[in-house]
Amino acid sequence: MRLSKYVKFREEKFGAVLFETRSEKVFTLNSVATAVVREINGGCDEGEIVVRLKDRFEADEDTIEREARAFIADLRTRGLVQD
Amino acid sequence: MSDHIAKESSATGASSGPAANPAASHGSASAESGDLGAPLYVAWQVTNECNLACLHCIEESGPGKAFRDELDRDQIFNVLAQFVEHEIPYLSFSGGEPMVHPLFFEMVEYVCSRDGQLKVETNGHFLTPENCERLARAGVKAVQVSLDGATRGTFNRMRIRGDFDRATDGTRNLHKAGVPIEINYSPTSFNVHEIGTAIDLAYELGAYSFYTGRTMYTGNAVKAWHKLALSDEQYATFFETLHRKTEEYRGRMRVHFHEMGLLEELRYRLHHPAALLIVLPNGLVKLINALPFICGDLRRQSLAEIWGNFQQAWQDPRVAAFIDDLAANPDKTSSLHQWVYV
Repeated sequence: MRLSKYVKFREEKFGAVLFETRSEKVFTLNSVATAVVREINGGCDEGEIVVRLKDRFEADEDTIEREARAFIADLRTRGLVQD
Repeated sequence: MSDHIAKESSATGASSGPAANPAASHGSASAESGDLGAPLYVAWQVTNECNLACLHCIEESGPGKAFRDELDRDQIFNVLAQFVEHEIPYLSFSGGEPMVHPLFFEMVEYVCSRDGQLKVETNGHFLTPENCERLARAGVKAVQVSLDGATRGTFNRMRIRGDFDRATDGTRNLHKAGVPIEINYSPTSFNVHEIGTAIDLAYELGAYSFYTGRTMYTGNAVKAWHKLALSDEQYATFFETLHRKTEEYRGRMRVHFHEMGLLEELRYRLHHPAALLIVLPNGLVKLINALPFICGDLRRQSLAEIWGNFQQAWQDPRVAAFIDDLAANPDKTSSLHQWVYV
C-alpha cells in the first residue's frame, strides 16, 4: 500500500494534510490519522500499521484496530492510497 | 479517531492560474491557512515575457514585456530550494509564457526530480513533440493550455499573434506524450457562444480537466473591455451550459468553474486566506492575484518570513478598505498592477 501518485502528505503542528493535487482537495488529518499515513509512507501494510498503532497509542486495542481499518478503507475509497 | 479526516475542501478552487483571466479563486485549505507551517500552493509567474499579446491578459504580458528585474539563475534556484525544503505540495509555473524562459526546463526538472507536483500553464505554442516528451520524462503533474475558443476565428482574435492550430496541435502532442492535460477558457462577448464546443474539444484533445470562470476587468482587458465584456444574459447562458456539460462529462472530464463574482470571493478570502502564494517574476509575493497587495520579497526574505507575514498582511486595514471600495467601484481592478506593500 502506498499513497496515490498525485497525493502529497505534509506533517503540520496539528497533525498533517493530504493534498490530492488532481482534484485539488485537501484533507486535514488529526494525530492518529497522521500516524497511519506516516506508516503507509514508510511502506507498512495494513496489518503492520494496526500493530504499530496499538503499540503507540494507549487506547482499547479493538477500537484502534476497527478505526484504523475504517480509516484505511476510507483512504482507498477516496483514491488516496493504492495497493 | 472517528473524525480522522477532519474536513475535506478544495485547495485551489477554480484555479485558472495567475496568467489566465477568469477570476481565479485559489481556495482555502481545510485547516485555515494560518494553521499551516507553509503554503500548500505556490503559483509562480516565472516571467512576464510572452510571445502573444492577448486582449484579456491579466499580467499585461507580451513580447518585450519581461520585467527588468526578473530573478536571475541563483535567485531562482534559491527560491526553488526553499519550496522543496518546505515541502510545498503543489507548484505552478505560469507567466507571461513560462516556456520562453531560458531556464524553463531546468526549473521543471529541478522541481519534478525532487518529488514536487508541478503544473505548467502555457499558451500551447511551444508544445513541440520534443518538448512534450521532455515534460513527460520530467513527470509534470499537468500542463494547462489556454484555449479560449473552439475555432480559429475566436481564438486568434483573442490571442493576438496566437495560432489556434499551433495550440491544438501542441495539446495533441501532450496527449501523445502522455502528459495530463488541463484546458483553461476565458469567456468574452465574442467566444462565449462556443463554450459548449470548446468543452467538447477539450475532451477530444484528451484533457482531464476544463477550467473557466468570469473574465476580469484588469490588465490588458481594461483597454479591450469594449470588445470583451459579457452581458448578464450571456453569463447566465454560459453558466447554464457549464452546468449541463459538467453532468455530460461527469466521470470522464472534470468541468470546473467558479460562478462567484470577484467581490464575493475577496470578501470570503479576507476572513479565510488561501494557503497560496502568488510569486511575481521579480520575486515579489502577492496576497492574491486579484488584489494589488505585496506581502513579501523573495530576493530579500525567506519563504518562512513571508509566510509568517502573510496572515498579518491580510489583516492590514488597507486590504479590507480596497475590497470595500471595489463594491462601489468595480473598475478598481484596473489598478491591480499599482502594487501596495503591506
